[in-house]
Amino acid sequence: MSAIKLENVTRAFGEKQVLKGISLDISEGEIFGLLGPSGAGKTTIINILTGQLSCGGRAEIFGTDCGRIGRKVYREIGAVLDNCGLYERLTCMDNMKLFAGIHNVPFGQIGGILEKVGLTGSEKIKAGKMSKGMKQRLQLARAILHQPKLLFLDEPTSGLDPSTAAEIHTLMQELQKNGTTIFLTTHNMDEAYRMCDRIALLNEGNIAECGNPAEICRKHCSVSEFNIITSDEEKLSIPNIPESAGQIAELIRSGKIKAIHSAEPDLGTVFLKLTGKELAQ
Amino acid sequence: MRTTLAILNKQCKDSLNNLPSLMIMIIYPAVAFIMVTALGSQDGIDGPMSSMFISMFATMHCAFVPITIASTVISEEKEKGTLRSLIMSGVGRVNYLISISLFIIVAVMLTGCTFLLMDKFTQQEICEFIITMLCGTVISTLLGLCIGINAKNVAAASGTAMPVGLVLALLPMLAQFNDAIAKVSKFTYSGQISLVLEGGRAVTAEMLEVCGAYAVIFAVLLTLIFRKKGLE
Repeated sequence: MSAIKLENVTRAFGEKQVLKGISLDISEGEIFGLLGPSGAGKTTIINILTGQLSCGGRAEIFGTDCGRIGRKVYREIGAVLDNCGLYERLTCMDNMKLFAGIHNVPFGQIGGILEKVGLTGSEKIKAGKMSKGMKQRLQLARAILHQPKLLFLDEPTSGLDPSTAAEIHTLMQELQKNGTTIFLTTHNMDEAYRMCDRIALLNEGNIAECGNPAEICRKHCSVSEFNIITSDEEKLSIPNIPESAGQIAELIRSGKIKAIHSAEPDLGTVFLKLTGKELAQ
Repeated sequence: MRTTLAILNKQCKDSLNNLPSLMIMIIYPAVAFIMVTALGSQDGIDGPMSSMFISMFATMHCAFVPITIASTVISEEKEKGTLRSLIMSGVGRVNYLISISLFIIVAVMLTGCTFLLMDKFTQQEICEFIITMLCGTVISTLLGLCIGINAKNVAAASGTAMPVGLVLALLPMLAQFNDAIAKVSKFTYSGQISLVLEGGRAVTAEMLEVCGAYAVIFAVLLTLIFRKKGLE
C-alpha cells in the first residue's frame, strides 16, 4: 500500500495558484525528498497531507483522505515542522511526558528516545533555554516517541551544524530500517542526494522531475566525459567515447591516475537547468 | 480521559512557570487580603468593609481572570504552534477545549476559595458563594475561549480580553457609586454576581436567569466561532 498518494492536487491562496496538479505515489518504507526553493509549495504539500489545509484533487495517507484524517491516522504519523512548537516553559522531559501521555507510551521509554537523539542529560533544561539544534532534536524525539509509520520532516537540518545534521541523518536511516516512511522537504541538495530513495523537484507548483537522485543527475548529464587528476596534479577531461579507452588504459597502466570522476551534474545544476532557478533561493 | 489528564498536567506545570499568569490568578485574593487586614474592621456603606472588599474582589476575580487566562492560553498555543502539535498527535479539538476549560475553572475556583478564609461564613453562605463564583467563572471561561479562538495571536487576544474583562470586573464596583451604571450593571452576569455576593450571599432567581442567559449566549457564540475558525 502507498504511504502517501497525491493525484492532481491543486491549491490556491487567493489569486495565487500555489500547487498546479501535483501527483505523487510514495511507498511504505521509502525516504522521499521534496526539493524546491522557498515558496515553491513544499510546506503547502505537508499542510495538505497532515490535514491542515484543504485542496483540489485527491490526497491520501495510508488510503485515508487527508481532508478526513482522524485520531487513528494522526497516531500513525510524526512530524517535525517549522510551525509545530515546543512548550518553552516546560522542561525537555515534561515536553516528552505530555506527548507520551497522549500516545500512551510508558514514561520509562522516554530516556531511550532522548538517548537516540543525543539529549541525555538535558532532561531538566527548559525548552525555551535550548539551542536551535537541541530544540530540533527534541522535536524529533517527540515525533518518533510513538514509533510512527510515517514521519514528516520539514527542513530538519536547516540552520544546524554539520555534526548535528549528520546525527539526524543517521537517525533517519535507522528509522527507515525499522520500516518508517519519511517525507522530507529540504533545499539542501546534498542532503537529498545522500538520504533519499526518490526525490521530486518542485517548481512554481509543478513537479519538474521525480525519481532516484543519482538517476536524475545521470539523465540530465549533457557533458559526457571523465575528469581525471593525475599524480602530477594535472586535470584532464577525456570524452566518454570508445576512442578514449586507449588513453585511459594507458594512464592506468602508468599509475598516473590520482582521481577519476564522471561529470554528471549535481541536483542544484539539474534544477537550474530545468527551471532556470537556483535551488537554494 | 488519558489525553485530558496529560493536557491538565501540562497546563498546570506551564502555568506554574508562567509568572504573569500566576500573578493574574492570585492578584485579587492578595489585594482583598491586604484590604481586609488593613481596613476590614471599619464600617462601610452596608456593613463592615471586609464584606465589601471580599464581594468586590471576588467578583473581579471570577469575571476577569478566566477571560484573560482562557484567551491567552489558546492564542499563545496557536501562535507558537504547540496547538498544532497537539492536534497532529491525535488530540481532538473539543477534547482540548474541555481540558483547558476544566483547568481554568478549577484553578480560578481554588484561588477564589481563599476569599472564604478572609471572613466568617456559615455553611449556607459558603455553598452560595461557591455556586455564585462557579457561575461567573464558567461564563467568563466561555467568553475567554471565544476571544482566544477568534484571535490570531496573543497580542490580538489581549487587546480584546483586557478591556472586556476590565469592563465586566469594574462595572459592579462603579455601580455602587452611580445609579445609572447600576441600572446597566444588573443586566451583566458580573453585576448579578456582585449583587448576590454583597447582599447576604443568597443566590437569587434573577441571578440564575441573567447568568443562564449569558451562558447560553456565549456557548452559542463559541460554537459559531469554533465552527467558522476551528483552532488553526
